[in-house]
Amino acid sequence: MNETPPLTAKALPASIVLAAGALALGYGLNGSWSIVIVIAVPGVLWLLGQWRGWGWTASVGLVCFVVIAAVGLGMRLWDGWMLAGVVGALSAWDLDHFARRLRGPGKVEGAHALERRHLQRLLIVDGAGLLLGAVALRARIELGFGAALLLGVLATLGLTRAIGFMRRQSD
Amino acid sequence: MRRLLLLVALVYALFLWGLGTLNGRLLALAVPLIVWLGAALLRGSQKPKLRISRTLSANRAPKGTPVAVKLSVVNEGPLLEELLVEDTLPRGIELVAGESRILASLGPGETVDLEYTVAGKQRGIFVFRGVEMTTGDYLGIFRRRTTLPAPAQLAVAPETLKLHRLAIRPLRTRATAGPIPARRGGSGVDFFGIREYQPGDPLRWVNWRVSARHHRTLFTNEFEQERIADVGLILDARRRTDIRLNGHTLFERAVRATASLAETFLGDGNRVGLLVYGGFLDWTFPGYGRVQRERILQALAKAETGDSLVFDSLDYIPTRFFPAKSQLVLISALCPDDPPMLSRLRARGYQLMVISPDPISFEARLLKPGKAVDLAVRIARLERALLLRQLRRAGIQVVDWQVDRPFDQAIHTSLSRTAHWFRAIGVAP
Repeated sequence: MNETPPLTAKALPASIVLAAGALALGYGLNGSWSIVIVIAVPGVLWLLGQWRGWGWTASVGLVCFVVIAAVGLGMRLWDGWMLAGVVGALSAWDLDHFARRLRGPGKVEGAHALERRHLQRLLIVDGAGLLLGAVALRARIELGFGAALLLGVLATLGLTRAIGFMRRQSD
Repeated sequence: MRRLLLLVALVYALFLWGLGTLNGRLLALAVPLIVWLGAALLRGSQKPKLRISRTLSANRAPKGTPVAVKLSVVNEGPLLEELLVEDTLPRGIELVAGESRILASLGPGETVDLEYTVAGKQRGIFVFRGVEMTTGDYLGIFRRRTTLPAPAQLAVAPETLKLHRLAIRPLRTRATAGPIPARRGGSGVDFFGIREYQPGDPLRWVNWRVSARHHRTLFTNEFEQERIADVGLILDARRRTDIRLNGHTLFERAVRATASLAETFLGDGNRVGLLVYGGFLDWTFPGYGRVQRERILQALAKAETGDSLVFDSLDYIPTRFFPAKSQLVLISALCPDDPPMLSRLRARGYQLMVISPDPISFEARLLKPGKAVDLAVRIARLERALLLRQLRRAGIQVVDWQVDRPFDQAIHTSLSRTAHWFRAIGVAP
């Protein structure tokens, strides 16, 4: 069994704390302290799972944080914290899987270079996600019911086709 | 794949939730997830072009001997951000050192080497098949798994013991000089007889005592020529002669004994052939030297017991396979109906030696002692003693091998004793 590379070992808990912290701050500033406690539960569970080697906690944590962020947006909380929470959760979810891949049985050639490149790529994707998310949050487009319906159908069809394509590409 | 599905499900859920509540901010929350999918798709959709080669440090090795395996994977396509190479070991082969799995990033034209050491846990022919390659993007969203063929074969041969020269005396030998007495006068070591002096005979061969008793006639000593011989090894692989108990098999002992005999006979320069007689006939045609040794060890590596209605008895041993009047060595635990066929072989002029690993002591050793077992062992021993006596009476040389003794000790004790006895009564063993 290999060891988790040092940068990833630090960045993973930091991402979990960042995601939970951003969401908690968003809710806390609005005075919803009971939800802050609810946020702490998946965060602690995720950290615990990472320490104990439970594979399922990362996916559960990501889903919980995305749902909490969506609920926060529905409650008209400041969207910057919610977006930061989602991006942080995505990063933690990715790092958890990356650490698992490196820790698996077998030799890892150039583990440090692999880690460095992975973190660089992750930062770029996170940055792009934050930027485009922020732009999308600031954009105001008025849509009628028909346009929304059409958009919904297009989105559903597009995503279905995308899933089919991705499934063919993968495995 | 599960990761991809999770992301897509989250995007779907946010879209539907946003459209359902007419809240555009929920759609915006899906943007980082879509960016992720896009970034993964950008890198993950390329089909890898890889070339793989495998080399083994040895194609044949005895059980437990380390063999180095080297796999070289060359990337003939674009950059592979993550490549996982996993080699699956055949069952019966164990990893001794190194890793059979490697994770690496591979640029265009770059090579990654996977080196590890394996050892055979059991005798057999083991085939390495394909190597599993999993390529993916840095984000781990896309996984593409392919199996590339990298065939190789490792034969785990039976262990061989070094035996001293075995005393065999076939009726016919070959023309080349060797270690086996040829029953012909000429130059050699052992005294063979006396004949009248012929021009060209060395003077030191003249038997002066005999010559002194005859008027004007000289006699010279003759020595027994030593030559190589044809030796046919017959390994009995009939399932009914094998005993399997607690993971031990009598057949394995027989295989090891055959390998040791083949090595010894070939080492002495003889022409040796092998017939594995069981579920089917597996022939290794007679030959000499190292190449033949390899052939025989390969055949023994894959030898297995089998059932066949045709080859249930020894009646179908193909005698034409062995040169007339050559030496045959049968390695068999023997069945009660075997002696008639073995007597027929002897009658056809073959010099027959039977090496019989004792199934009774083998089985008794692994059974719980008790009255019933003791009685059964006594009865079985009596039957076996009768069987072996029947063979000896037919002029067959029999080695009753108690398998708890090393084969080399057992065979030398038996052969040296019979050789003296045969010499004393003047009959060829």
